[in-house]
Amino acid sequence: MTRLRIGLVLAVLVVGATLLGPVLTPYDPIAPDYTAIYSPPSAAHPLGTDDLGRDVLARSLAGGRVSLTVALSATALALCLGVAVGITSAGLGGLGDTVLVRVFDAVLAFPGFLLVLLVVTILGGGALQTVLAMGVAGAPIYFRLARSFTRSELRTDYVLAGEALGATRTRLLWRHALPNFAGAIWVQAASTAATFLLVEASLSYLGLGVPLPTPSWGNVLQDARSYLTQQPWAALGPGFFLAAASLAFQFLSDGLRDRLDRRR
Amino acid sequence: MTRYLLGQLLSFVVTLWAVLTLVFVGVRVLPGDAATVIGGIDTTPAQVQAIRRSLGLDRSLPQQYASYWSGLVRGDLGTSLRQHRSVDAILLQRLPVTATLAGLAFLLSLALGTALGLLAGLRPGGVADRAALALTTLGLALPEFWFGFLLILVFAVRVQWFPVVGLPSGGVLAAFPGFVLPAVTLALPRAAQIARLTRARVLDELGADYVRTARGKGATAAITGRHVAANALPGVLPLLALELGGLLTGTIVVEQVFGIPGLGLAILDAIGARDYPVVQGVAILAVTIYVLVNWLADLAQLLADPRLRVS
Repeated sequence: MTRLRIGLVLAVLVVGATLLGPVLTPYDPIAPDYTAIYSPPSAAHPLGTDDLGRDVLARSLAGGRVSLTVALSATALALCLGVAVGITSAGLGGLGDTVLVRVFDAVLAFPGFLLVLLVVTILGGGALQTVLAMGVAGAPIYFRLARSFTRSELRTDYVLAGEALGATRTRLLWRHALPNFAGAIWVQAASTAATFLLVEASLSYLGLGVPLPTPSWGNVLQDARSYLTQQPWAALGPGFFLAAASLAFQFLSDGLRDRLDRRR
Repeated sequence: MTRYLLGQLLSFVVTLWAVLTLVFVGVRVLPGDAATVIGGIDTTPAQVQAIRRSLGLDRSLPQQYASYWSGLVRGDLGTSLRQHRSVDAILLQRLPVTATLAGLAFLLSLALGTALGLLAGLRPGGVADRAALALTTLGLALPEFWFGFLLILVFAVRVQWFPVVGLPSGGVLAAFPGFVLPAVTLALPRAAQIARLTRARVLDELGADYVRTARGKGATAAITGRHVAANALPGVLPLLALELGGLLTGTIVVEQVFGIPGLGLAILDAIGARDYPVVQGVAILAVTIYVLVNWLADLAQLLADPRLRVS
C-alpha cells in the first residue's frame, strides 16, 4: 500500500507542478534573458538559468508538460493497439491468430530502442512521430498479455455458461473477459509510462524526438550537455523532475501489482 | 532434446528472416530519394536516373529484395552514399570500438549486479540490500545518459582522471581511459536490473525445501549460499542475454554523450546525413547479433539448468 501511496503523491505533485508551471514561475521558458546568463540557484531562479539566461525551473516544468503528454499518449496508443489486437486474435483463433502472433513476435525480436529510432527516422522527428514510434514498439507486450489472459478466460465456466445463454462472442470477450484482467494491464501501463519517459528523453536528447524550440526533458538535457561544465544546474533541474516522474509511475506500477497479488 | 534444439534452430532462422525483412521494408519507405541525396539539389533528372540505376533502385521491389538477400549471404552490405567506401569497411572499423565499450559495460554490470543481488538476497534488510534498492530505484528512474553527465562533472571536470569527450589517440592502451566513464554509465542501470532479478531469484530459492533441509543438517551459510546461487543464477541468464544483445544498440546515446566513435555514432551520423545504406548496415548487424545472443542464451540456460533438459 505504501508504494502505491508514494507513487500517487509523487505523480500528483509532478503532474500538478508541470500543469501549474505558468503560475508557479513568472519566467518565459523560451524567451532569452541576456542579463541572467548562467546564474547559480538563487531566490529569483531556484534552479539557476541556462546559456540564454532562461529559468531552468520554468523550462523543466514546460518540458515536463510535453514529455508527460508524449509518454502518456504513447502508452495509451500501445495499450489500445496491443489489447484490441490481442483480444481479437485470441477470439479469432486458428490461422489469423498464428499470423498475428508471428507478426508481434517479429516486432518484439527487435532491440527496442533501435526500433523506435528507425521508426522515428522513417516518420521524421516530432512529438506526434515520437508517440507513434513508441506506441508501435510498445504494443507487443500488451498484445501478449491480452491474448494469453483472454485465452485462459475463454476456458472458464462462466464463458461456457454465457455461450449457453446465447451471449455473443464479442460481448463475452469485451464485456466479461476484459474487465477480469484489466488490473494486470494497468500495472503494465504504469510501468510502460515510466519507461517511455526515459525513451522520449533519450530520443529528444539525440535530436530525433521533440524538436526545439518546444522544450521537453530530453531536448532541454541535450541543450544542457553542450554547456555542462559551465552550468551543471541546467542538467540537474530537468533530471530531477524526470526522475521524480518516472519513479512515480514505477511506484504506481509496483503498488498496483502488490494490491492485485494480495486480492488473489 | 535433439528435436527441441532443431525447433529452436528453426525459430531462430524464422525470427532472423522476419527481422531482416522488416529492416528491408523499413529502409525502402524512408523519406527522400537516395539518388537526390547523393547528387544534391542541382542534379538533372538524367543524372538522378543514372544514380538510381547504379544503386539498383530502378528495379522492382522483388528484384531489390532478392539482391538484398544475395548481398546479405555474401556479406556485402553495399556502399555508403557519403563516404565513398563500402558499408562493410565502416562497420569493421566501428564494431571493435562499440564491442569494447559494450564488453566492458557488460562485465562491469555482471560483476556488480550479481554480487549486489546475491548479497542483498542472502541478507534481506542488510547494507547490501539497501544499497541495491537505492541503485535499482535510481537506475530505473533516470535515463542512462544523465548518469554520464554526473560522471563527467565529477571524474572528468572536477578531478580530471578521464577525458570529457572522445578517445585519446595512440593505440588501444592509450584509448582505454576514454572507455571507462561511458562503460560505467552503461553498466549502472544494467547492474541495477541484474541485482533486482538476482535478489528476487535468491529469495525464491531461500524458501525452498532443500535449503531448510541443508540448514537442518547443519550446513554453514557459505554452503547454503553456494547451492542457492547455483540454482538462482541460471534464471538470470535470459536477462543477461537481453542486456548483452541490447548493449550493441544501447550504446547509441552514451556514444553520443562521450563522443565515442562506434556503431552508435555511425548510425546517428548516417541518419542525419540520410546515408541509408549505412543505417541499414548498422541495423542489420545490430538485430542479427541481438537475435543470435538471445537464441544462444536459451541454449546456455538449457546447459546451466539440468531441470529444463528433462521436459
